Amino acid sequence: MKRKSFLLLAGTAVWLTACNKSPEAAPGGGAGKGRGTIGVSLLALDNPFFKVIGDNITAEGAKFGYETLVVSGDKDPAKQGNQIKDFIVKKVSAIVLSPCDSKASVAVIREANAAGIPVFTVDIPCNEPGVKIVTQIATDNYGGGKEAAKAMIEALGEAGGKIAVLHLKQAESCILRVKGFTEIINEHNAAGKGKVDIVTELESGGAKDMGYKAAEDAVQAHPDLRGIFAINDPAALGARAALEKAGKADQIVIVGFDGQPEGKQAIKDGRIYADPIQFPEKMGIQIVDSIIRHSKGESLPPQMLIPTSLYRKADALKDPDLK
Amino acid sequence: MKPFLKKTLSEYGMSLVLLLLCAYFSVVTWSDQSPAGADGAQQVTEAIARLGGTPRVLIAATSQPDDAAFTARLLTDLPVNGAVVVATASGEPQAAREALQKLAASGGKLDVIACTQAAGGWLVFSDIKTDYPGLGSPQIITPRSYRWPNFLKTANLLNIANQIAIIAIIAIGMTMVIITGGIDLSVGSLLALSAVLVARFIRDYAGGAAASTGGLVLASLAAVVICGGAGAFSGLMITRFRIPPFIVTLAMMLVGSGLAYTLAAGQTIYQIPESFIWLGRGADLFSVPNAVVLMFILYALAHVLMSRMKLGRYLYAVGGNSEAARLSGVPVRRVLLFAYTASALLAGLGGVIMASQLKSGSGNYGNMYELYVIAAVVVGGTSLSGGEGKMPGTLIGAFTIAVIQNGMNLTNVESYTQKVVLGLVILGAVLLDRLRHQARL
Repeated sequence: MKRKSFLLLAGTAVWLTACNKSPEAAPGGGAGKGRGTIGVSLLALDNPFFKVIGDNITAEGAKFGYETLVVSGDKDPAKQGNQIKDFIVKKVSAIVLSPCDSKASVAVIREANAAGIPVFTVDIPCNEPGVKIVTQIATDNYGGGKEAAKAMIEALGEAGGKIAVLHLKQAESCILRVKGFTEIINEHNAAGKGKVDIVTELESGGAKDMGYKAAEDAVQAHPDLRGIFAINDPAALGARAALEKAGKADQIVIVGFDGQPEGKQAIKDGRIYADPIQFPEKMGIQIVDSIIRHSKGESLPPQMLIPTSLYRKADALKDPDLK
Repeated sequence: MKPFLKKTLSEYGMSLVLLLLCAYFSVVTWSDQSPAGADGAQQVTEAIARLGGTPRVLIAATSQPDDAAFTARLLTDLPVNGAVVVATASGEPQAAREALQKLAASGGKLDVIACTQAAGGWLVFSDIKTDYPGLGSPQIITPRSYRWPNFLKTANLLNIANQIAIIAIIAIGMTMVIITGGIDLSVGSLLALSAVLVARFIRDYAGGAAASTGGLVLASLAAVVICGGAGAFSGLMITRFRIPPFIVTLAMMLVGSGLAYTLAAGQTIYQIPESFIWLGRGADLFSVPNAVVLMFILYALAHVLMSRMKLGRYLYAVGGNSEAARLSGVPVRRVLLFAYTASALLAGLGGVIMASQLKSGSGNYGNMYELYVIAAVVVGGTSLSGGEGKMPGTLIGAFTIAVIQNGMNLTNVESYTQKVVLGLVILGAVLLDRLRHQARL
């Protein structure tokens, strides 16, 4: 009996060693003393956006001799708190996080502050009092919303028309997107050419299934709808599916947000008109750059916004990532 | 002695696994540690004294308490040993940069940078020769490091206990439920419900951030009791209407989660006084966190209940063969009712602890916790078919899971792989249990 249990355990141990080796061997060949470890805890790694951020921090960090440990908070503030505590025990050189809940994260960020480890946020800021964050890197969602509005006006042309907004109201970032969007639409209307009318604002959950339902409802309520602005790609794709089912796909243009691979493909296929795209890879690179600049003693601005850029069909046709 | 050892091994085979896991992680997290505080300062002072002459020294350290002690000690000791402290940079690398710039501007030379291990890694010191040619080529002196596993640092061991306390506490109730042959899927949601309830009670009725201790205790009790009520309701459904526990607690899981989000209005409730964190983050007894002390007390009580009291034996009897138990006069319904109520009460308590740790309440707490709790119970050797299991086993199971998670975070295993490993370990533990059973039969 004992022999069996040992065998099993030995198996597990070998396995653990095997998976432990790969991330350590990667940066700089492991020879000599590196610059330490960057501990990264992201909101959720099942979202490709965060996966790209994590991968880029790892790759960029390796160039400068940092090891990187990327873990997923899985939207659970308690789990993320434990991960940060492990980082502190490990005495990492820097902690990067996208807080699962900015209020619940205060305690653990303070612990990191007390341990003298610099903390950086990415994508989701933490603006609570009492925490010290070196710099917060995020997409310029407000500017992105403005770009989305420009794309919408361009798509509707001279005639203008009724449009719907598919919102995700609990997310600060999406509130900013819609704010920027609405401002440009209002400016356009004040100029008095081809009035664009936001007739409804529906909750989309930022997901395909809810975006589908919301778009169905919008079409029912406003048969003459001409455009939909969805605050992210899943909501936009859900809406597109509903429009195709209702036979209104040609009548209504969709502007999304994000530029995830599936969204870009949809733009290439003409199913979404355009996206202000975010640059998670730039965010990852900028984080490593900020860590190095901080360590060199430079002073950094409290916030760094990465502008979006409009991605239309013409861009998609040239995009080497889409085959 | 020998039969005792054999019995312990066969009953708590998992403890051996846990020990081996600890040994394994101790070996792989074997790394350089640097002495902090005054000890480190002494080493650095000695090293500088050996240089001879009157070296000009810059002291650099973070603002952490240990580092502050390091700086303070150097400031008093270095001049005695003939060195001249020309500048002190404490806190951020920026302070060091400013100090260097000032020195360079004044045209002074710099011979030594005395710093802690962390400050020694600041990149501001890596290119001094090219960035500040006027300063000469100062030598960086840090305390000599020694080797010790990160895993075995006291701070980390307390960390592990603290991380698992909530799951372990809930697992007590789950062990009872599973021993009766049932299952309770609602514990994660009840945890969230309880966290939101206690946060709301404090905000709305106890005076928010100015709440008194009495108010905090009442709010916590109320939240735990309401969760207990939800558990009693599940128990009633199971015993009176004979609905399978899986279905009843699945329904309660949805109800609890929905209520938690509704009561919190999808937000985080944070208007809670600082004193409330005593339970979750305080550490009064030899710096052992209060939640961990509470966990051990609850396990001791539960162990006595299960092994020394009539109710405990009834729980085993119901799980072993409910019909036989009923015929021999065991009040089966009341025993089941007790198990589900206890499970929910403990989930409620877990919610209060989590609200205290995070100083807030939100509906998204406790997501998937039911699965971790069940895993802890099963890894601890409790049989899902009921009638068998031990409280200490569950505690060991919970610690096994915590050690694996912590160990993987310390050894740079990324998230996806962590899930795979955890899944395999749970499977392996149950497989081990099976093999042991077959060997015994």
